[in-house]
Amino acid sequence: VLATVPTTPKSIEDYRPVIGEERTEEILALARELRGARMVHVNATAFGGGVAEILATLIPLINDVGLHAEWQVIKGADEFFNITKAMHNSLQGMYHDWTPASREIWLNYNRINAELFDDSFDFVVIHDPQPAAVLSFLDERRGSHRGTWVWRCHIDLTDAQAETWDMLRPHVERYDGAIFTMQQYVKDDLHGPRIFCIPPAIDPLSPKNGDLPPDVVSEILLRYGVDPLRPMITQISRFDPWKDPLGVVDVYRKLKVEFPELQLVMIASMASDDPEGWSWYEKIVRRAGEDYDIHVLSNLNGVGNIEVNAFQRAARVVIQKSTREGFGLVVSEALWKGRPVVAGNVGGIPLQIDDGKTGFLVSTSDECAEQVGWLLGHPAEASAMGARGVEHVRDKFLTTRYLRDYLSIFRDLRRRDGQPSPHPAQQVPR
Amino acid sequence: MYGTLGLSHRALDDLADAAGKEAIAELRSLARPIEGLRVLNLSVTGFGTGTAELLTSSVPLLTDLGLDCHWQVVRASEDVAAATRAMYQGLGGVHVNWTQEMTDAWQRFAAMNAGLLTESFDVVVVHDPQPAAIRTHVAHSDAKWVLHSHLDLSSAQDDVWLQLRSHIERFDAAIFEAPEFARGDLSLPVYIIPPAIDPNSARNMPLPDDVIHTVLQRYGIDTAKPLVCQVSPCDVASGLVGAVDTVVSLRRRIPDLQLAIVLTTEPQDPPGRACYEDLACRCADEPGVFVVSMVRELGNVELNVFQRAASVVLQRGLRKGFGLWVSDALWKSKPVVVGPAPGLLKQVIDGRTGLVAENDEQFEDAISRLIADPALSARLGAAGHDHVADHFLITRYLRDYVQMLDGLMRGA
Repeated sequence: VLATVPTTPKSIEDYRPVIGEERTEEILALARELRGARMVHVNATAFGGGVAEILATLIPLINDVGLHAEWQVIKGADEFFNITKAMHNSLQGMYHDWTPASREIWLNYNRINAELFDDSFDFVVIHDPQPAAVLSFLDERRGSHRGTWVWRCHIDLTDAQAETWDMLRPHVERYDGAIFTMQQYVKDDLHGPRIFCIPPAIDPLSPKNGDLPPDVVSEILLRYGVDPLRPMITQISRFDPWKDPLGVVDVYRKLKVEFPELQLVMIASMASDDPEGWSWYEKIVRRAGEDYDIHVLSNLNGVGNIEVNAFQRAARVVIQKSTREGFGLVVSEALWKGRPVVAGNVGGIPLQIDDGKTGFLVSTSDECAEQVGWLLGHPAEASAMGARGVEHVRDKFLTTRYLRDYLSIFRDLRRRDGQPSPHPAQQVPR
Repeated sequence: MYGTLGLSHRALDDLADAAGKEAIAELRSLARPIEGLRVLNLSVTGFGTGTAELLTSSVPLLTDLGLDCHWQVVRASEDVAAATRAMYQGLGGVHVNWTQEMTDAWQRFAAMNAGLLTESFDVVVVHDPQPAAIRTHVAHSDAKWVLHSHLDLSSAQDDVWLQLRSHIERFDAAIFEAPEFARGDLSLPVYIIPPAIDPNSARNMPLPDDVIHTVLQRYGIDTAKPLVCQVSPCDVASGLVGAVDTVVSLRRRIPDLQLAIVLTTEPQDPPGRACYEDLACRCADEPGVFVVSMVRELGNVELNVFQRAASVVLQRGLRKGFGLWVSDALWKSKPVVVGPAPGLLKQVIDGRTGLVAENDEQFEDAISRLIADPALSARLGAAGHDHVADHFLITRYLRDYVQMLDGLMRGA
């Protein structure tokens, strides 16, 4: 069997005061229709990253509403994970030179995981490309599989390398359903599974988003050398060219003339093996020069969930100056804290920001500086915007909405008789 | 030019509450003779290691003491990084296949980095042994060179160590964290400077009870029930499965006992992944055992919360080094139970600043004693706090450093 990832328990009742009666009851009604259903989510790692973060909340909540849910991780060795990393990058548009050997490695580990897989669940959700071929091998070996299978793709496939997608597609086409993050990520040539979209969501009760007393927020700022009494703006993102971190420093510089007390906090989420992130870190530090009101922090220096929470809450304005973006969920995190957000008009950001109401959508550094400056100069209007942002997120981007979407997809896909799927035995596509 | 880091300003005076005004005044007077000393700290990485954490605190504080103190990071390409990682493992006693290609890559790395040293310094401190050959490649240097090894080299793989030794011999001095971590086969002056915690970091700041309560609730932990907490890397030596066994077995005596295992590293290799799988399998269907594995998102404040919430802080074992997070727990006056690893025994003196256990039975007894006897817990915790105040605060580290630098410049 595959290893089951331990999660910490959560209760839907804790969310009732946050989302209200109506939304809570809707979830409970959906859950009643699926009561007792057994479900497994399978992905490549229990550690870090957006998928793991989502599953850590979703799995305990599904259990709490009366279904049985597990999270399992596939087994693999370095040779497999090196290839799936390349595969992941290539689906996001980076070229990968496939060889027959590397395809075979990917398939082989999928075969091994299919053999280890406990095929007794009513619903199986396979996350991302790494384990996508497990279903093909189950069918090959047994001529059938149990349950309803859904492929959950968290990747933007718009620029996927054709060869990689062609390799993956026949495996995905066997699924009953496929869930994407946004409509524009769906490939036109994917036929077979029913297509659904679930935008990502934030957990309002997680340490990153839950309430923090103002005095604790101030104290945390002080520990990182930031003055809580002076205005501060922040951007929290990976350090890469698509988030335009140097542009953010320039925006701050421009505003510093009018607001000499202003501070800038740049927080990177970096992986320890990310040379590009490191090189961008250095560029930012150099651009910051001798200005000690610019703070460049990183998760690798211990800036975690609660710190990010504190910096977002303390910021006068949160910036997300993306020039290219996936969903950009950090925008919802900031909105949820009642902060106005000025962000690039790309990817999923326009879904989160209602321009001029909950923040501003911008395309250039000049626009960004102008809007941030206006918000700094109009604190009452900034607060009003922030308050509208909270309601927008409450309605659209909380983890409970994510849970509801999943439940309704399962309900739609459920076959009434619970019989093995009618897929005929076929050879695994190669 | 080497890699630069953006460090926030620090004021030594802010440490007066934790370390005492006298300690600060003493530091200032010790530093006077070396005011303006130009010191370059060179390290392999700027992030995510104990070395980087110490430098993040100590460099701005040495600057505040009047030194002209810098921290830069060596340059490495992908193939070189693989060689230095292998060297790191070999030095830590994990067997690696050290090849001629690795030697070549490592030498190229040293030569290239030697060429990047263009400014003039009085002292160059190379942190950790991997970049030590840079010294050999710098033809003319008026600076004193110090090798500061934050690794335990006692069980280093022979061929890897011999590769390094001749380069290290060219240094003016070496620093180790403990006598047990040093090498007997070095002929240069050796200083012992144990690592230290920063009492002002977010990991050690005071936190109100309601914040602790809320965060624990978000992880499903019941604050009304006793909690054992182990914060540690995901490796076999940490004894993670053993920690679960201990707590589960103790439930016969303490039925509502909970365990939180907070992982601080992501498994990157097959043994690490196997370790995680073993832990995951052991925890399946064990309510009251919590594994927190959001390594990338978990920050100082959350670690702080878990330590403060614990009834007992546990460290079943340790692969290498100090395990300095135990000092973070002692600073919070927590009763701790640790295995007999050399680094842990510096912090935990059995029966005085905590309890030391060597097998399942002893771990169980120690934890149940502490939970049954709040007075004992309080006494050990208080003594633990004092022990850390005397030996493991950043101010003590700075004093050792200033004295080392002063001695070096006087030719002592």
